Amino acid sequence: MCECDCECADPLKLGQKVPDFSLETYEPTKGDFGTFSLANQIAQKRWTILFFYPADFTFV
Amino acid sequence: MGCDLVTVSTDTKFSHLAWREHEKELHKVTYPMGSDATGKLSRMYGVYDEGTGLALRGTFIINPEGTLLGSEVNFYNLGRNIDELMRKFKANMYLSRKTNEACPSKWKDDGDKTLTPGAKLVGKVHEALNS
Repeated sequence: MCECDCECADPLKLGQKVPDFSLETYEPTKGDFGTFSLANQIAQKRWTILFFYPADFTFV
Repeated sequence: MGCDLVTVSTDTKFSHLAWREHEKELHKVTYPMGSDATGKLSRMYGVYDEGTGLALRGTFIINPEGTLLGSEVNFYNLGRNIDELMRKFKANMYLSRKTNEACPSKWKDDGDKTLTPGAKLVGKVHEALNS
């Protein structure tokens, strides 16, 4: 259990469906802001790689 | 079947824009850069550091049905090997088509040797890998 108020009482496990999420994004190809949503990926039958990193202006 | 990579940090999308447009190392970057400023997604994936408000170097592979198939987390000071990420991604795509097979550690791409778990493989992995 974590102490935050998010819906993550149980950690995600491999082989399980993950909850939907959406993120505000910067889209370099458009030079504009956008949105990335897992529901949209599923609707378009596309794979998703989530790539977390600590902070902008550092190495990835 | 296509794939989209999205990077995620707890920075804002404004910071992402500034970093992408000013850091020459990023001028070839085309993938969307996601903002998890609340840390909600980072917490959900177990990579949020409550002490710093930052996300650790976590990589997660999700298939087109929304099932989590891959998970790897490195601490702050260790970068990821993109070749290994691509190997695992390709293997997951391959295995989604060949559901009775398994990709051993040396598997790199379509055509490389796979294993088919079953009674005949018990005690015979060495022979199967070297046949």
